[in-house]
Amino acid sequence: MIKLRAVFEKKDRAKYISHLDLNRCMLRTFRRSGLPIWYTEGFHSHPYFSFALALSLGYESNCEILDFNLNEEIPFDEVRDRLNAVMPYGMRIISVGEPKLKITKIAKAEYSFSLKSDNIDGLVNDVERLLQSESILVEKKTKKGIQQVDIKPFIEITSVSLWDGKYNMSMRLPAGTQVNYNPALFFEALRNSSGIPFETAEIRRTGIFSENNEIFL
Amino acid sequence: MLKEKIERHLLEVQKPSRYIGGEVGSIIKDKSKIDVRFAFCFPDTYDIGMSHLGMKILYSLTNECENYWCERCFAPSEDFEKIMRENDIPLYALESLDPIKDFDFIGFTMQYELSYTNVLNMLDLAGIPIYARDRTNELTQIVVAGGPCVCNPEPLADFFDLFIMGEGEEVNLELMDLYTEMKKQGASRKEFLQRACQIEGIYVPEFYRFSYKPDGTVEKVENTNNAPAVVKKRIIKDFDKVYYPDDFVVPFTEIVHDRVSVEVLRGCLRGCRFCQAGFIYRPFREKKSGTIIDETKALCENTGYDEVSLASLSTSDHSEISPILSELIEYTSEEKITLSLPSLRVDNFSEELLEKIKRVRKSGLTFAPEGGTQRLRDVINKNVSDDEIMNTCRIAFEGGYSSVKLYFMMGLPTETDEDIVGIAELAQRIIDLFYSLENRPKGRGVQISISCATFVPKPFTPFQFEPQDTREMIEHKQKLLLDSVNKKRVKVSYHDADVSILEAVLAKGDRRLCDVIYTAWKKGCKFDSWGEHFRFDKWVEAFEECGIDPSFYANRRIEYDEILPWEHLDYYVSKEFFVRENKTAHESVTTPHCRLKCSGCGVNRKIGGKCFD
Repeated sequence: MIKLRAVFEKKDRAKYISHLDLNRCMLRTFRRSGLPIWYTEGFHSHPYFSFALALSLGYESNCEILDFNLNEEIPFDEVRDRLNAVMPYGMRIISVGEPKLKITKIAKAEYSFSLKSDNIDGLVNDVERLLQSESILVEKKTKKGIQQVDIKPFIEITSVSLWDGKYNMSMRLPAGTQVNYNPALFFEALRNSSGIPFETAEIRRTGIFSENNEIFL
Repeated sequence: MLKEKIERHLLEVQKPSRYIGGEVGSIIKDKSKIDVRFAFCFPDTYDIGMSHLGMKILYSLTNECENYWCERCFAPSEDFEKIMRENDIPLYALESLDPIKDFDFIGFTMQYELSYTNVLNMLDLAGIPIYARDRTNELTQIVVAGGPCVCNPEPLADFFDLFIMGEGEEVNLELMDLYTEMKKQGASRKEFLQRACQIEGIYVPEFYRFSYKPDGTVEKVENTNNAPAVVKKRIIKDFDKVYYPDDFVVPFTEIVHDRVSVEVLRGCLRGCRFCQAGFIYRPFREKKSGTIIDETKALCENTGYDEVSLASLSTSDHSEISPILSELIEYTSEEKITLSLPSLRVDNFSEELLEKIKRVRKSGLTFAPEGGTQRLRDVINKNVSDDEIMNTCRIAFEGGYSSVKLYFMMGLPTETDEDIVGIAELAQRIIDLFYSLENRPKGRGVQISISCATFVPKPFTPFQFEPQDTREMIEHKQKLLLDSVNKKRVKVSYHDADVSILEAVLAKGDRRLCDVIYTAWKKGCKFDSWGEHFRFDKWVEAFEECGIDPSFYANRRIEYDEILPWEHLDYYVSKEFFVRENKTAHESVTTPHCRLKCSGCGVNRKIGGKCFD
């Protein structure tokens, strides 16, 4: 059994494939590729696919991680090309390689998005005020029920720009098997604090990182 | 662009991937190089419509032609429809995301009567005039329909420009070829329809005039505009060679039949007297085993599905079913594919066949005796005996099965309370059989599920003349069944009587029902086949407002010499045969299946030769 890890992008119409559907979609893609998929032993034999981080419905990404197993050794580029030949529109394998880090080493994910509003200057002010406030409290659904959390200490802004009437931001948030914050929490906080109506667009996961800010591979 | 408008709201709805296309296998073309754009519309949601095999065949077939582009279109669910209406998003096709009102053909497949209001709703969402008479005389936006329900298209006649009768593989392309030619000549809609009705299998309803007798029955049907007096359905002569896709659109979201399906035969040789499909798809034609195996492999490889099923009205009637299954099981187990086999008949369910199925799955067993007593099964020509049912159950129980699902119909012609109690007694005999077996599955009790549909008399069947039971009669029988069964071991489910009554009216109705359907839709009726949407009270209001008595269509016995609303349509089986079969039914006499003995239904005269060698 050969353990492999693929980095793939999910864009355009493919962003509406839900996480549940993605598993089925990948299985069919692998079957179409004719690659020698490794199946689990046992009564209900099935292939092994594992996505490192679930991606919210409607988000794009150019850094999704998929772990899978093959029965034979096949050059990485060939695996990538054979999969890309039968991928759905909007999805593409960027690279295939051996897994370097354990999934549990994932610590952060970076997201970019645009905020649109008829009053963009007012909105920019509100964003700045929110980011400077002492705490940013939001309600988060967890297994134990709804909990109030302060996301302020975790938000790392990596870029901001005002372009074409849109406020574009990038931020890193905690990610992984333990804590997972997604930009929707930030949008919710902004909506609660600002009276200015806005729309979000082009939300994209742009990077997955380990604790020391290395790109996760 | 429409895409942006759609995307702005897509995350507000359930299962958004149903509304944006982009699936593997969907076909994108350069529209500047296209002569004819065809919107293939299924009048129900994506999850249901995408499971429909006919759409897959005709989609691929049309798109094989470089200059034709066939796209898919489904009814949006309530949440998305609301968004579409609020934001002026017209109904669009999933490949190009272009509004279907700009297409050359808007084609609906009519699979069940309770989807009729959805057609009106979809036309309205598209911005296409609902009544054909309100459409422009320009040659564009031709609204057509095919599928089993159009064997009696009269209740839909006012909404469609033309109907396609029978099998579409050849006639659809002939129609599009004619359109291409006439479009270039600058012809009008009327001129196109006048030529189109000369193609065998094309029925243009506006060229036929109905008149009625004082008692409400049809007096005569007059053909005008040189349209043929009788319209014949189309069939594919060489079924083994007929086009079959080697690829399907593979949806992201789970659909009802989420697998490869391979059609193994068309038509049915059994002649169950209630079954419309058993007559309108005649003659019986098989695909060769090699063709079936090749098509299965190609589809599995191209789609990546890991489940395949064989599709037909009665798969186990294929003359080579055993070798086919052997070969398929070898392939599917090698490739880790699940093989599922629906619609197996009780009477030829052999131990060998069961052994083969057991190797691939061990779920429940389903049988359809349809009638509770031998007498009633003889009336409906379901040639299944008590012994056969018991024998099959014994084989199944000894093979490790402990649950059986049985399908019955209620309200069949000549049925009495005794036949209903017979259903419960049959279930009890199966339970007793289970406990009498030494080698029954241990540690589990037997479970019988009885699913009881209400009989709906359908056109082009020997029972087309029969009245349907009234609601009171149906409700009495439902209660009787519930009171008769062993509640510990038997679970009973049955259909809502009102649904079946409406089905009967729409199935056997005439042109006067068009306004009823329109009125019901205006009152908010749609998705009538979905329990949570079905509003019988609105339908009752619509019948009243239009001055139509539904019992005239559902509960009246039709005389043999009465002119039927579908009498000018020829589905190859003759009316004389249906009359003969109806009389035989009332004598409780069965008719052997076609392979045993030709019963002279009339199909062989139409195809110019014997159905079997």
